[in-house]
Order: sequence, then structure tokens, then C-alpha cells
Amino acid sequence: MKTSALVRFRPRTLFVLSLTSAVSACGFMWPFLINAKSVSVASIFFWAASAFAIALVIVEISNDSLDAKSIALLGVLTAAVAALRPLGAGAVGIEPMWFLLILSARVFGSSFGFILGLTSILTSALLTGGIGPWLGYQLFAAGWIGLFAGWLPKKIRGKPEIFMLVLYAIAASLIFGLLMDLQFWPWALGLETQLSYIPNGDIATNLNRFIVFHFATSMAWDIPRAILTSTLIILSAPAILGALRRTKFRAAFVTPIEFVDSKNAAIERAKELKAL
Amino acid sequence: MITFDAVSLIYPNSTKTVLENLSLTIDEGEFVLVIGPTGSGKSSLLRLINGLVPHHTGGILAGNISVDGISTQLVKPGGLAHLIGIVGQNPVNGFVTDTVEEELAFGMESLNIAPDVMRKRVEEILDLMSLAPLRDRSLATLSGGEQQRVAIGSALVMHPKVLVLDEPTSALDPIAAEEVLSILHRLVHDLGLTVIVAEHRLERVIQFADRIVHIDGLGNARVGTPAQIMSDSDIAPPIVHLARALGLEDVGLTVRDMRRMSEQIRGGSYSHSIEKLVISNETVIEISDLSLSFESQSVLNDINIKICAGEVIALMGRNGAGKSSLLKTIVGLHKATSGTVSVLGNNPLTISGSKRRETIGFIPQEPSDLLYGQSVIMECQQADVDNEIEEGTTFELLSELVPGISPQTHPRDLSEGQRLALALSVVLSAKPKVLILDEPTRGLDYQAKSHLISTLLHYARVLGRTVILATHDVELVAELATRVIFLADGDCVADGKTLDVLLSSPAFAPQVAKVMSPQPWLTVKDVINALQVNQ
Repeated sequence: MKTSALVRFRPRTLFVLSLTSAVSACGFMWPFLINAKSVSVASIFFWAASAFAIALVIVEISNDSLDAKSIALLGVLTAAVAALRPLGAGAVGIEPMWFLLILSARVFGSSFGFILGLTSILTSALLTGGIGPWLGYQLFAAGWIGLFAGWLPKKIRGKPEIFMLVLYAIAASLIFGLLMDLQFWPWALGLETQLSYIPNGDIATNLNRFIVFHFATSMAWDIPRAILTSTLIILSAPAILGALRRTKFRAAFVTPIEFVDSKNAAIERAKELKAL
Repeated sequence: MITFDAVSLIYPNSTKTVLENLSLTIDEGEFVLVIGPTGSGKSSLLRLINGLVPHHTGGILAGNISVDGISTQLVKPGGLAHLIGIVGQNPVNGFVTDTVEEELAFGMESLNIAPDVMRKRVEEILDLMSLAPLRDRSLATLSGGEQQRVAIGSALVMHPKVLVLDEPTSALDPIAAEEVLSILHRLVHDLGLTVIVAEHRLERVIQFADRIVHIDGLGNARVGTPAQIMSDSDIAPPIVHLARALGLEDVGLTVRDMRRMSEQIRGGSYSHSIEKLVISNETVIEISDLSLSFESQSVLNDINIKICAGEVIALMGRNGAGKSSLLKTIVGLHKATSGTVSVLGNNPLTISGSKRRETIGFIPQEPSDLLYGQSVIMECQQADVDNEIEEGTTFELLSELVPGISPQTHPRDLSEGQRLALALSVVLSAKPKVLILDEPTRGLDYQAKSHLISTLLHYARVLGRTVILATHDVELVAELATRVIFLADGDCVADGKTLDVLLSSPAFAPQVAKVMSPQPWLTVKDVINALQVNQ
């Protein structure tokens, strides 16, 4: 027998996750995939995906792979990430939360990272009143940031690890900005400007207009976000990674529990286990 | 109620047995005290009872433990939640909700108990724990004793048959500790609850215990009545040491018993040779007309104190009397509202950097507030660099204080005593002229405390430095201090030699003084010295 494991998606859950991710990717990409008659039709895609995602989390939490220790970890880290988000007031992309999400996902793995992304965005949205059509997109984007951070190569440690995390943070910040622009662009500008989305329009034209729009606006948001997140990682990663890894060790996930008859048998067994 | 049948325990990644062949039966309605040095396995023993060890931590368990007929091998801790309540050292760490009523209801909510039953039980516990006037209060605004009562109450609402407490009073001042222990005593006698307590400060709790489990640190355990265990235990309260030193046949466990037994000794007349302490006249700290207030609330009023080199000052008084505020003003963390503080002629608010470290060393109530390093050795190296001393000096100092700390350990994984020693060696490596400690003995066992006493005595007597400490621990004061300053409501109500101040109030007298009153003896050593001189 062993103590419980840290939350980990089973193959079935992973399958459902990729399905919902695909649907939600369509939600992001719809301006280029379909010739929607109006802006509002498209968001239906996306709400379907959100509902799936939330159902997924509920299923995952209610099955027994998420035990008391995982929930405690998830609760504390969600609270910390969610509380960090409003600190930057959201202006010009300054949201000092991503570094902690990335570091936590790095230590506790991709499944934990995905769930942490969802729960922390949801909680911070409730804290700041930031609930709106964009919330679903943010949920997924944050979930993916956590998921992919958990997939980074495990063996790298020390300075190279921090360098890798900084690169990841820059990429994640820029891609997050791109995705947010994707959901924002079709309806934000109205229909009249030269960069606006053209319903029923030619996909190439729309893509062109989007790219111009993205680079025209992203400087002010994505670059500060990337700079802030990578600076925070450089400053805090040694201490935070150390603290989180120590927590993971102390929580004793997947540690053997054995019952034997006598003291001598216990000592024998301890030696055998140690030899492994 | 609880049976341990030849229980041995080994934690994962180790081959050291924490407990060896422990057999023990605890009956319903017993008050059992678990004693032993830090790290000897007291907490493991308590957590074995509700299955947290090994189900939560992993490990190899030999033998069988059963509670109310249920074997903990088969049932996970969650399945025993209705049967066993568990309360930790620091109640705040266990709180989930914000107010007293919600906290009491939370556990029942998790056990899926019907709302009408919950309402009734909350009322019942509010009365039982005398918490009714506090029902709507926010948990953060309660005093330590009140918080611990809420923690016990929220374990009791599940109607457990067994209550397990791990050092429930070590974070509390004597009055709050008394409050909590007398409630436990009542629960045992009125409800027939089985209570198991691990505790360091035996003088507080020993009179309540029916039986004692003594763990020796090598895995062996002895079980017996308090009188049996105390006849030869190395861990013992001051009155037991007194009884042994006097060669009495029985050990008395209460002041009353000891007074009856020692009537002849204290009845004699003795000539008192008072040990002359050489204290220089060099004034180190001068506080004149000091007043401090926060937002119109006055904390300290017109304090005038002069402290010389080589003195050990104990600052005593209730919680909230202004002890910590006075210490922090001397350190320079608070700015005096009026009056002046000078430390070696400097204003503590203005000195900084290495000059500050060489002038004042301060150890706050929670020593880990000073520790930022990822390991003990990193912390020590940082201190070496900061103080420009030879590499390794700080770690050497630490090894002298408490031998055997692994340099790679994370500071938060150390025991209370080891953590204090680490903070102390970091601070002492700068060789400050004044050393200030706030409640240094919280959570320390007798061994760690005697280490601390000898370190501080050496610092004051041999090196001639000044030590100031705020404490509730009268036994520590009796052993260590040359002078006591007593604060009440921000006023200095007494300032004098330790002997005079401690003997003048029975409530603050150490156990030995209570037994030997009216003889002016504070510690076992005093008694023995006096008897030898007069032989």
C-alpha cells in the first residue's frame, strides 16, 4: 500500500481534456475558420467548451485521485495566485500571478498545473468582479500555461532550469496576449475601422488584419507582461522552487505504507526498501 | 479504549525505529500524559492513534493499534474522525473559517450531520467550553487561550470518545494554559472523555495526569503512574528535582504535597549568604520618561530604566502589558512617542548595518522570522559574510549550542529548540553588546531550556554583556535573571532583584519558592547551597 498520489489525469481524463481543448481552440480561432454572419454566433462554440472544462474539473475533483493533500495544496496555491493577480491592477498586462502558476506547475506537474490555472483564474475573477465573455477564454489559456509548464523537461536543474522557465514565461506571456487579442479583436473595434474583423469576409484578409491589430496593440500589454513575469521568475524561482519542492517532499506523496508482524520484520523491510 | 500491541514504527527512507515494541492499554476516561525529549516520537505516538501515521506519512508499522475496537490498519484517518478529535500546538494553523460559530460547525458539515443536530451541538459546545460570549467573534481577534478553547471545542462537536492534544499549551502564557488544562480536566471527569496529551512543561500538567508514557528517544517507552515515572525520570518538573535533591522517599507532584513533606526542612532557621554578583557600573541602556502609544491608545507610560553591563533582565507581566513593545522600542523597531532611549549612547532608531548588529541582537518571538536561508549551512555562511568573520565560525557556535544538526537541513524542519539555537548563533556571531529575546522558551523541552540558560549565563557573566528577555516562564527567570521588571498596563510596577520581586507575589513565584516559602529560595540549587552552608 502507498500514500495517495498527487493529482494526475488518467488517460480517459486526458482524452476528454484534449477534446475540450480542441473545441475551445475553435472558440479562439473561429474568425478564421468559419464565415460567421455575426460576431455573437461564434461564442457558442466556446461556451460549450467552457461547460466541458468545468465538468471535467468537477469529475476530476470528485473521483478519488484528488485526495486531501492535493486539495489542500490546490487551495493554498489557488488563493496565492488569485490574490497576486489584482496586485498589478491589470494595467498594461501587469498581472504578477503567472510566475507562481508556472513555478507551481513546474513542481507539481501538468495535471495539477492545468487545474490550478482554472481555479486561480476563476477565483481571481470572483475577487475582482472580472466575470464576462472573456472569462472562459482566460480559463483555458491559464490552464494551458499550467499544463505545458508541467511538461517541460524534468531533469534540468539549477541555472539552466531558471533560464528555461524564463524562456517559457516569455513565450507564455506573448501567446497569452495573442489568444486574448483573438477573442477580443472581433468585437472590440466595432466594424468600421481598417483593422476590424469583417464578418463573412475572406479569411486571408481577416488574418492579415488580425496580425496588424495584434502587433499594433500588443507592445503595450504583452511585452510588460513578459518582462514582469520573467523578472519575477529570476528573482523568486530559487526560493519558491525550493519551498514548493520541500512541500512536495514533506507531503509524502506515494510513500510506502506497510504493516508487518514484528519489530525485526519492520527493520528488515526498511532495509529492503532503502536498498531500492 | 485504546490498545497498542507491540507497536514499532519506522518512517520512510530510514531504518531507525521511532518506537520499539510499545504495548499499552488506555482505558475510557483516562488522562494520559506523553513525555519525552524533542524528536523522541511523542507526536508520532499521538498520530498513530488516529492513523495519520502511517496512512498520511507512509512508513512501516509492526504490531497493531486499535481504538474502540477498530484497527487503524484497516480504517483510514477519515473513518476515525467521529471517534478521535485531534488538536495541535498552534490552533490558528487548524482554523478553516472566520468566526467561532462557523469553526465549531465546520467539522460536522464535513461529516454530513443534519442541520438541526448541528445547531444543538454548537450551542452545547459553546456552553461547555464557556465560549458563548465569543460566538460571533472573528477567530483572529481572540486571545491564545480562547483560540485553543475553540480548537478543542471544534474537535468535541463531533462527540469523539478520544481527544488527542499535541503540546496544547506550549504557545500559551501561564494563565491561558491554566484555562485550557482545567477545561480538559473537567471533560475527563464530567464526560468520561479519554484524553491523551503530549507536553513539555510538566509543572503545568502533571497534577492532572492519571498515567504517564515516557519515551526515552531511543524508541523505548515506559508506562506508569506519575509517581512511578517521576521517581527516576530525567524529565521532571522543578518540585520533583527538589524532592530528589532533598532525598525524600516519595516525590510530591503538587506544591501542597511537597509542602507537607518538607515541613521540617523549611521550618529550620538558616543564615543566608547572598551570592554577590559583580555587575559593572557601566550603563548600557538608559530609558528615560519613555511613553509609547499607537493611534491614541497608550501602550507604555513614563518608563525609566537604567541597565548596566552584565545584567540579565527579565521583563514580566500579562499578555498585552507592553513587554514586547518595550523590547521593540529598545531595539528601534518602534519610535517612542515621547522620552528617549539610548543604547551605548546611540539612538537605536538611527544605527544601522554592522554597527547595529554589533550593538543590539534581537530574537523575536518566532525565531524563524530571522531565518531566510534554504539550509542551516547557508544561514550560517551568510552570517559569517555579514559579520566579516572567519568562515565556519557561526556553524561552530551552533554545534556548541546543540550538537548534531545536519548542515543541509531546512531551517523550518528543525525542532523549536534547534531553530532557536540557529537564530541565536546567527545573532551571537555578531557579538552584540546587548542581546534581547522575546519569549525564548516557548515550545522548548527541559534540555533545550537548560542549554539556553547556560549560553545566556555565559554571555552575561563571562563576557559581561547585557541580556534582556521578556518571558512568562518563572522557572527560567529564577535560574537566570539578576533583575526583574514587572509591567502592568504599560506601567512599570516593580523593578528589583529577582529574589525580591518573585518572592513578593505568590502567583509569580517559582514552584520551589512556593514549596519553601517563607525561606528565600528560588531554585533547587539555592536550597541545596543553603542546606550545605548550614550543616
